[in-house]
Amino acid sequence: MTDYSKDYSKDFPILEKEIYGKRLVYLDNAATSQKPDSVIRTLSEFYRSDNSNIHRGVHYLSEISSERYEKARAKVSDFIGADDPGEVTFTAGTTDSINQVACSLKPILEGNEVLISGVEHHSNIVPWQLAGAKLRAIPMDEDCNLLPDSIEITDRTKMIAISHASNVLGSVNPVKEITEIAKEHDVPVLVDAAQSIQHLPIDVRDIGCDFLAFSGHKMYAATGVGVLYTSERFSDIMPSRGGGGMIDRVTLERTTYLKPPLRFEAGTPHIAGAISIGAAIDYMQNIGMDHIRKREHEVYSYAREKLLGTDGVTVYGNTDLMCGSISFNLDEIHHYDTGLILDKLGIAVRTGHHCAQPLMRTLGTEGTVRASFALYNTKEDADRLLEGMEKVRMMYA
Amino acid sequence: MRDAVQDEIIEQFGGLEWLDRYSLLISFGRELEPMDEKFRTEENSIGGCQSKAWVRAYEVDGRLMFNADSEAMITRGIISLLLKVVNNRSPREILDLDLYFLDEIGLKSNLSPARADGLASIIRRIRELAEGEVN
Ligand SMILES: Cc1ncc(COP(=O)(O)O)c(C=O)c1O
Repeated sequence: MTDYSKDYSKDFPILEKEIYGKRLVYLDNAATSQKPDSVIRTLSEFYRSDNSNIHRGVHYLSEISSERYEKARAKVSDFIGADDPGEVTFTAGTTDSINQVACSLKPILEGNEVLISGVEHHSNIVPWQLAGAKLRAIPMDEDCNLLPDSIEITDRTKMIAISHASNVLGSVNPVKEITEIAKEHDVPVLVDAAQSIQHLPIDVRDIGCDFLAFSGHKMYAATGVGVLYTSERFSDIMPSRGGGGMIDRVTLERTTYLKPPLRFEAGTPHIAGAISIGAAIDYMQNIGMDHIRKREHEVYSYAREKLLGTDGVTVYGNTDLMCGSISFNLDEIHHYDTGLILDKLGIAVRTGHHCAQPLMRTLGTEGTVRASFALYNTKEDADRLLEGMEKVRMMYA
Repeated sequence: MRDAVQDEIIEQFGGLEWLDRYSLLISFGRELEPMDEKFRTEENSIGGCQSKAWVRAYEVDGRLMFNADSEAMITRGIISLLLKVVNNRSPREILDLDLYFLDEIGLKSNLSPARADGLASIIRRIRELAEGEVN
C-alpha cells in the first residue's frame, strides 16, 4: 500500500509560521497556494544569476533566459499533454487567459451565445459578456452537478466554457462528456482548469478541449503568470493584443503576426513567473500527480465526511469526483462570523461568495465558508478545522 | 480628549483574552436592536462589506440618533459599541469625535479598508450623515 502520510508541509517555508501563537492551518488554497522552497529558490536565483529579456538579445544572458523560458513552456506542454509547446501561451493568469480568448473571438461571439455552467467563477462569466455574447447555463441537478444529456446546442452557440472543478463546491465537472457533445456540433470548448491543474492529472488530448486556462499561483508557482493552451486548430485566430515580440513584419499600413505561441505573447512576459511554473511542475511531478490525487483525496474525503457527520452544518455540493474546495455553513451563524473566529484560531479559510454569485443564488445563500486543500494539508489540519468550528459554535450558542 | 462612553467600553474589554473579547462582542451584537425591515434599503446599505450592513440617522432635538445593523453577529457587536459612542450627540460633536476605543480594545485591524466587515465604511457613512446635518 502506498504511504500517503508523508509530511510535505516541510517543503513550504511559510507553513512553519505561527499565527496568533498557533501553527498556521492554511485552508485557503483555492485562492492561492503556498510555494515550495524549490520554487522560491528558482525565482530568486533567476533574478540573481540569469535575468535578462528573452528572444531579443544577442548576448549570453538573454540566451540563457530565453532557453529557460522555452524549457518551462515545453514542461507545461508535456504536463498537460499538448501536442506541441507551440500550443502553450504564457499569460497573466486564468482570468487573463479567458479574456484573451473572448477578445480574440469577439467577432464570432458578439450577438451569439456562450454555454457555461451554473457554478462558474466570475472570470468565466464576465469576459464573455464583455465580448457581447449571451450566456446560457447548462442545466444542473439539485447537487449542482451538470447534466450533459440536457445540453442544448443551437446555431448561435459559439463556445462552451466550463470549469473543470468548482472553486466553491470542489465538484469535478464532466468536461470530457461535454467536449464529445460539442464536437458533434463543431463548437469549441474552453476548460477553466484553475481549480484542477494542481489536484488532478490533466491531458488536453484526452479531455478534447480547444482551450485550457489556469493560473501559476494556484499550482505552487508565482502570482501574475498563467497559461492558455490553444489547440493547433485555433492557431490562426487573431491575437487579442499587439506589441513587441509577436509580429512578423510591421508597416504603418499593415502588420503580420508570428505563429503561436509568440503570436499571443505581446510585450515582455512574466519570464521569472513562467520559469517558476516549470519549477512547480517539477515539484509536483517528483511527487507524482497520481500520488497527489490519491493523497489529497484521502484528506479531502476525511474532512468532508467529518463535516457531513457534524450536526448543524450544511455542506454544499455532492458528486463522485471532488477535489480542492469544500463549502459549508454553520446553521444560524453567518459565514463571516465563522471565518473570523477560525482566523483567530490560526485557521485560514475564505468566506463570502467566492466570485461565484450566480451559484450562491442557486444555493440560496449570500456566502459560504470555504476550506480548500492542497497537497500539504493533512487529516490533522481537518481536525483543527473541526475543533475550530466546535469552538465557533460554543461562542455563538 | 477622553470621552466617558468610550472609556467605559475600554474598561469592559480591558484585560480580556481575545476569546472573551469576541464573546463580549457577540453578546453586544445580540443586544443590538434589529433594524426594521423597511429601513434595510439600498439607500441605507453599505457597500464593500462581506456581510450586508445598513446605517440610517434621524434627528431628535438637534441631536443625531443612529440605527444600524448587519447580518454578521460580530459586526453587529462592533456596531452596537459604535452607536453607544456616537448616538445622542450633535452633528458637530460626532465629526470631532476621535474613536480611540476601537484601537484600545484591539479592533484597530478591523478598521483597515481591506477588512471584509466594512467597519471603515460604516464609520465613513456615520460621518457623512453627520456632515449632512451640520449647518
Ligand atoms: C475556477 C476559477 N476560475 C478562474 C479563477 C481566476 O483566477 P485568477 O484570479 O488567477 O486569474 C479562479 C480563481 O479564484 C477560479 O477559482
